[in-house]
Amino acid sequence: MNDSISIRVACRLYTAMLFAYPREFRLRYGVEMQQFFRERCRELARERAGGGVWFRFGVRNLTDWILSTVRERRVPKLVQEWAVTILLFLFVTTTMVQAYVVPTGSMEGNILVGDHMLVDKVGFENGGSNWSSYVLPHRDVKRGDIIAFRYPEDIRQTFVKRVIGLPGDRIRLENKQVIRNGQKLDEPYAQYTTSDIDDYRDNFPTAPDFYTLGGGRTMFSHNVQNGEVIVPPDTLFVLGDNRDNSLDSRYWGFVPSNYLVGKPLVIYWSFDAPTSDYVDWNLRHVEDVALHFFSKTRWDRMLTRPKSQAAK
Amino acid sequence: MKKPPDLLPLTPPVFHILLALADEERHGYGIMQDVARQTNDALQLGPGTLYGCLKRMLAAGLVEESEERPDLELDDERRRYYRMTALGRMTVRAEASRLAAAVSAAKVKLGLAGGK
Repeated sequence: MNDSISIRVACRLYTAMLFAYPREFRLRYGVEMQQFFRERCRELARERAGGGVWFRFGVRNLTDWILSTVRERRVPKLVQEWAVTILLFLFVTTTMVQAYVVPTGSMEGNILVGDHMLVDKVGFENGGSNWSSYVLPHRDVKRGDIIAFRYPEDIRQTFVKRVIGLPGDRIRLENKQVIRNGQKLDEPYAQYTTSDIDDYRDNFPTAPDFYTLGGGRTMFSHNVQNGEVIVPPDTLFVLGDNRDNSLDSRYWGFVPSNYLVGKPLVIYWSFDAPTSDYVDWNLRHVEDVALHFFSKTRWDRMLTRPKSQAAK
Repeated sequence: MKKPPDLLPLTPPVFHILLALADEERHGYGIMQDVARQTNDALQLGPGTLYGCLKRMLAAGLVEESEERPDLELDDERRRYYRMTALGRMTVRAEASRLAAAVSAAKVKLGLAGGK
């Protein structure tokens, strides 16, 4: 009999799945189970079953496969009971939240070095994969939101900053004061550590050519008009709350909106240790945690939530 | 050899597999189809569940393997057939009457006894 390609692929897949069963069981019943599976596929094909029927067939077979594997392998009851919890945990940690440790003080004042937080990956519409936006509540990014995102110059790193400009906004700084669309912002969350004026940093973007990261150069050559940065479509302009010590959009440009990871959800642990301990894993840090867990944990920060706050 | 009462109550898949083999010997796919007919598609056995049950039923002596031969309605491929043993027949009868007793008790308690 000539089977369609999809049936042949499905049967191949099922043959591979049989390897989950104990060897003895597979050798004795494997051929019969393959015949069984193929026959069912052929029957559905003969009936010209619709997508829904095939989907239910797939789900049912998957369930059957998992349950019977567990049964034949005599997985201990304890593991069986935990399996769902573990699977759920893996699902949640891979698609819905991400754990993140803050390594630098660029958001100092609101977020400290050593804050361990969970980042909500599905709360924003553009948070990477979009399937969730149909199912779960979500909203667009607003000015003043604290966001976690992939650092455009090195996407392996995750940064946390505050959104200052949305697409179309005109941004400039005048002696540290942010001016957005011609209006001075009153930013209660911002913190300054020095009164020195660095032209590049504090009168942005009037003194270009200082910083040469790729994104920053592109920003200066394409997105500056009349001494203001104009945020291009589908990007965000972000600044750290610790304005004088923050490597942010002023230096490396805009965050593409598909680099958005999510918003900080909750700080589940905060441990007072220097930046170097969070950048490079080292044994000394482990020892530090073990010895000073109680004294160096910032208990008052636990289970708090970094607040998004709009400028006035 | 085990006596039927030791095996009761049967799980629904085992019970329906035995019923499927009550009138004739069948291969795995035939068993699944008959079980679906018996239960109006409420119980659709997957291959893993079906062969897991058959393995245990073989071990308990409820069914035995018959010959391998092609199913004329399906294709030329040879299939392993299964048949019910005498112990299997006793067991499924015992289970059926156990269920019947349970159902009539339920009818009395719930006032479902057919208009009497």
